[in-house]
Amino acid sequence: MSCITTQARAVAINPTRSCAPIGAMLANYGIHGAITINHGSQGCATYPRHQMARHFREPVEVASTSLTEKTTVYGGKGNLLEAIKNIVDRFHPTMIMVCSTCLSETIGDDIPGTIDEFQEKNPDITIPILSVKTPSYIGNHTTGFDNFLTEIANSLPDKRKKKGETNGKINIIPGWVNPGDIRELKHIVREMGLHGLWLTDYSETLDGGYYEPRPHFARGGTTVEELHSSSKSLATIAIQRYIGGEAARVYERRHNVPAHVLTMPIGLANTDAFVDTLTEITDHQVPEVLSVERARLLDALVDTHMFTSGLRVALFGDPDTLEGLVGLVAEMGMVPAYILTASESKPWAERMVELTQELGVESEIILKGDLHELHMRIKANPVDLLMGHSKGKFISDAEKIPLIRMGFPVEDRFGYHRRSIVGYNGAIALVDEITNVIFERKATSVVSNTLVELGVEGPTSIPLVYQNGNGKH
Amino acid sequence: MELKSSATLPERALHIALKVEGGKCQRGDGAGCAISSNSATTPGDMTERGCTYAGCRGVVGGPVKDAIQLTHGPIGCAFFSWGYRPHLADTDFHMKYTFVSDMNETNIVFGGEKKLLQSIIEASREFPEAKAVFVYNTCSTALIGDDGRDVAKQAEAIIGKSVVFFECEGFKGVSQSAGHHVGNETIFRQLVGSVEPEGDFSRTINIVGDYNIKNDIRTFEHLFEAIGLRIVTRFTGNVGVDDLKIMHKAALNVVHCQRSATYIADMMKEKYGTPYINVTLWGMKHMAQALRDTAAVFGLEAEAEVVIERELAKIKPKIEYFRQRLTGKKVFIYQGGPRTWHWIELLRELGMETQTAATTFGHEDDYEKIFEQLDEGGMMIDNPNVPEIEEILTRRRPDLFISGNKEKYLAYKLGVPFVNGHTYDTGPYAGFVGMVNFARDIDKAIHAPIWQTLHKKARPAPVAHHSSHGFAHGFEEGE
Repeated sequence: MSCITTQARAVAINPTRSCAPIGAMLANYGIHGAITINHGSQGCATYPRHQMARHFREPVEVASTSLTEKTTVYGGKGNLLEAIKNIVDRFHPTMIMVCSTCLSETIGDDIPGTIDEFQEKNPDITIPILSVKTPSYIGNHTTGFDNFLTEIANSLPDKRKKKGETNGKINIIPGWVNPGDIRELKHIVREMGLHGLWLTDYSETLDGGYYEPRPHFARGGTTVEELHSSSKSLATIAIQRYIGGEAARVYERRHNVPAHVLTMPIGLANTDAFVDTLTEITDHQVPEVLSVERARLLDALVDTHMFTSGLRVALFGDPDTLEGLVGLVAEMGMVPAYILTASESKPWAERMVELTQELGVESEIILKGDLHELHMRIKANPVDLLMGHSKGKFISDAEKIPLIRMGFPVEDRFGYHRRSIVGYNGAIALVDEITNVIFERKATSVVSNTLVELGVEGPTSIPLVYQNGNGKH
Repeated sequence: MELKSSATLPERALHIALKVEGGKCQRGDGAGCAISSNSATTPGDMTERGCTYAGCRGVVGGPVKDAIQLTHGPIGCAFFSWGYRPHLADTDFHMKYTFVSDMNETNIVFGGEKKLLQSIIEASREFPEAKAVFVYNTCSTALIGDDGRDVAKQAEAIIGKSVVFFECEGFKGVSQSAGHHVGNETIFRQLVGSVEPEGDFSRTINIVGDYNIKNDIRTFEHLFEAIGLRIVTRFTGNVGVDDLKIMHKAALNVVHCQRSATYIADMMKEKYGTPYINVTLWGMKHMAQALRDTAAVFGLEAEAEVVIERELAKIKPKIEYFRQRLTGKKVFIYQGGPRTWHWIELLRELGMETQTAATTFGHEDDYEKIFEQLDEGGMMIDNPNVPEIEEILTRRRPDLFISGNKEKYLAYKLGVPFVNGHTYDTGPYAGFVGMVNFARDIDKAIHAPIWQTLHKKARPAPVAHHSSHGFAHGFEEGE
């Protein structure tokens, strides 16, 4: 049976997580023409911009209220009022989201009150101006994303809805995924003959094209009008529990839009659950295209199982991604030896224990963990593969263990934001990549479709016998 | 010169100036010169500036290769400043690891001193080979009044090595420049002069204000050595804690970045009487001058001339090749501070003209140096924001934009060739041989075939009659 451990150290060494504002900024990028104002020190806007630019390789623009020493004494209200005015005057955004920081929260600035004051003084400015709490000392980057979605669900949907009135769409909350993932989800929804209302959609705003002239706002993104109509949707599907799960419940509570909070659709079973939910909501049948993709994933799993079965892998990242990913890992016959997250959520860890038991695998589930902790575990009891964002490269380099890059950020490779890990196609791509990484290892060579071990000692040799799921040999 | 994009921000005119006929200066508001700089950013103007913490942790302290780089605060500051600035050294501990006291809500309410102390002890236990612990303060821990200095003293007694506490909370200044100052002062106060080594230091120098971006120092260090000088300390590229402690022994400080590091040269001059000279280590003329000026202090002029002649001979044919390809090209340089004025001459040596020059955190002296070097018609701008940069790129249409990673993709979206001057596309760019790399990257950027393809083949954005779900707006099936 899997076990739960919690990292004991006070100091974090090489954290897997960053902080809340970047989550809200990212989510806001999924709304067409929306601009973020970060209320705090300039670094709180500039650092996340820089981080997002390194991952998406797109211009990323976030405004700052540029608080300095003086404003920490007298309060940042004046700066915020000025910032909102300047953003409206120069950018003509469709919406503004103000997110807080350690600084503005600690000095106790009343952001919602300041926004109210701005709107009273400027009745001609009618765009939505939202406030989202994102101090870095609460939660992590996922918290900011989730708080943003909850705020959207609370404040933007039309409250007046006639009985039975519907827009015929399904609210879909992808959570913290990549543009490639959103496009894959759209593909599934479209093939099902359905209409998604995406909360939110940065599939094009953060993976855009080259146009002459450059459009004033990046193409794509969910429109504010769509957000208004989201209370009239047929249902809400959140594919991450901790990012958007609460927003889905808000839609159910306040607008009678039924909530479906699912496991992230990574791998066959998890994607099936997503597709089945779409079928349940609408009675639309699974189309030929998706059936063929599903069969192709099964075929890929069969074709590769002799190379992947029994591999010990270490997974790290956000709770929702890990919950979905462990499904595919188990389907490939691999052993998720370590599942490490920075989150401290006991309920999540307990779910993971149950889930790994159902999947027939054994893991150490590490809460409040950082990459140094994972590195120490791997040194003591090695793995064949690492899966997570690109900060895992330091372990990968030191231990010569391949890293399957996924999630955010991937800043040392190109184009990972375009890839998908969700849906049948996302799973097929991952199965191929993992198998090829095994093929490319220095310790092995591929002759006529079979793997030849080159007799390198230690963890890099592939276990030849798969014993009771623990992968030892 | 007025920028339309800032029409609603009248104060921005004070930050913009043109060099007009007769070499005169015309500020955006029509007044004389002396553009406004190092002042508070207009809130919400979409600035590119960072914070004091970034200037201290990212620029000055971060390159120190054998110190534990510990942020006292919540997680984000440590995550974002981890391992992306290529201030290399001969070891990579400082690039691979980031440490943070990981303040949570409870710590913010009840104070974080205990957790900081524990963090320092744990970190030094995990990495006993580290020579010191550098602790960087952040906004929240400063606001709640944690006494980091006292914790550092307690920790020092327990772990038996230097614990250096930097009061570099993000809100402290108007830009990252304030963080450079804090970094200089703190290292000077706490480390410099704490060890007195034996030996002859009569022909020694410190290289001050070079951060070894992509191994810049490898392009010039051996040249100083070739004229008979020994380098004691590099402040702070490829430097260890022990080197900083004996920095005061050098006979001369050779100051490269005169924005982020003159502070320590001044402090050393006052306390130890160490003289310093200002140099530019980029470009043929400046690099040669740097060697000459340094050599002159030690009476090694003849040795310097030998080195200069030999090195120039090596690169001149290559530079000439690029000069022919680049002559007449117009450049927009936007760097943090001094690089903007360091590079005007280098670009001129390549036949290029600096059409617009901007800095993120330059002070008055930086703009004086820029203005002096600009040609007539040249424009300078302080702390430009995103719409202003976009307007310059589209209206003044430079052939090349030299800036940083954040601005890179804006340039690309506007079809403007770009070279990354902050962290270099390839590098190193300093010294004589580095200039060849710089010229090669500039040539590659400007003459890449993609620009022809873009401007011939690009189309306008399709009209957005499709909403995000792939169906036309208002198309409502299933009602």
